[in-house]
Amino acid sequence: MKPISKTPFDRVFERITRKSAQRTSRRSFLAQCGLWLVAASTLPVLPVARRAQAAEPHAKGKPAGKFASEFANRAQTKDPTQCNYWRYCSSDGYLCACCGGGPSTCPPGTSPSPTSWIGSCINPDDGKTYLIAYRDCCGQDSCGKCACLGQEGDMPSYRPQVNNDIIWCFGASSMVYHCSSAGLVGLAE
Amino acid sequence: MRTAGWPAAVVAGLALACGASPPAAAQAPGTNVPDAVTRLSGLRLEPMSRPAQTYATNCQGCHGELGRSVREIPPLAGRVGYFARVPAGRRYLVQVPNVALNPSSDADIAAVLNWLLRTYSRAELPADFEPYTAAEVAELRQARIDVNATRASVVDELVAAKQVPSRDTLALAQTPLY
Repeated sequence: MKPISKTPFDRVFERITRKSAQRTSRRSFLAQCGLWLVAASTLPVLPVARRAQAAEPHAKGKPAGKFASEFANRAQTKDPTQCNYWRYCSSDGYLCACCGGGPSTCPPGTSPSPTSWIGSCINPDDGKTYLIAYRDCCGQDSCGKCACLGQEGDMPSYRPQVNNDIIWCFGASSMVYHCSSAGLVGLAE
Repeated sequence: MRTAGWPAAVVAGLALACGASPPAAAQAPGTNVPDAVTRLSGLRLEPMSRPAQTYATNCQGCHGELGRSVREIPPLAGRVGYFARVPAGRRYLVQVPNVALNPSSDADIAAVLNWLLRTYSRAELPADFEPYTAAEVAELRQARIDVNATRASVVDELVAAKQVPSRDTLALAQTPLY
C-alpha cells in the first residue's frame, strides 16, 4: 500500500503502525498492554537498591537517618555558606556568611538585633544538640544571597514568638532586615 | 604588668556581680563544638540545665540572656521577684499569657519560673518564697486574665503594701506610637 504520509520520518512510522496493525490481534494487543501496565506499576515496588538516590550520607559514611532530625542527617559542619550547615536547621532568610559576615557575625554596616529567635540543632559530628540564636542583622537592604529556609521548630505566625518568618529586628536601630546569623548559645543536655 | 592586670580584675568582678549567666551553671564538663568555624577559637560550651534550656528556647529571645533586653521588653533582672511577694503577683507570673499559653509542660514551667526568679531576681524574692509546683502551675494556667488590668492591680497592691521601693520600679516602658 502506498503510504499517505509526506515526509520520510512520518512514512517510517506509518509503515511500522500499519505492519503492527496487520499482524497483531486485538486480544494480543490488550494482553501486551495489560502486561506493560502491570510491569510499570510493579517494577518500582521491587526491592531495588536506592542508595544512590538517598540523601547524601555525611562525611564519616554514617547511614542516613541516624538522627531524629532530617536536617541533621543531611547537615555538614564545614561550610557555613551552604544551607545544610548544621546550625541553620531553623534559619529562615539570607545567610550572613554569604553577605560579608560569618555564621555568627553581622556584615559590616549592619547591627545585630538585641532580640533573637532561639532554636536547637543537632551537630552531626558529635550528635549533641546545641541551642542556636538566630539573630537578624539589621540596617541595610536585604542581602539577597543564599536564601535558606530551615523549618525546624518553626510555628505558624499565630505563635509569633516561635515563628521565624517574622523579622527579628525588634530593638535594633533599624527595622530593615539584611541577613540572618546563627550564633551558638549553649549545649542542651 | 599592672595595666594589663586591671582589665582582667574588672572583668572578673563584673562576672561575679552578674554571676547569673545561665551557661555558668555547669553539671558536666564542657565540650568543644565540632565545627570548622569554631575549631580555632577553642570555644567550649557547658551543658545547660533543663530550666535554663526552657528559658533559652521560650523566653530568652526577647527577655535576654541576662534577664534584660531592649526597653520595650519588661526586664526580669532585679525586678520579677517583687511579684512573688503577694499571692496575686505569684498567680500573675503563671497567668501572664506567654507563660500560661506556652507549649511547655506544667513541670517545666514551674521549674523555669523557680529558676528564673532565683537566677535573675533572688534579692527581690520574699525570704519565705515557696517554689512553684507543677500542680500549682497546672491549676493557675487554666485562667485567662486581662493582662494589663491584672498587672496594674498587682502593682497597686505591691505599692500599697510597701513591697516595692516605688511605683516606678515596676513601670513598663511606653511603646512609642509610630
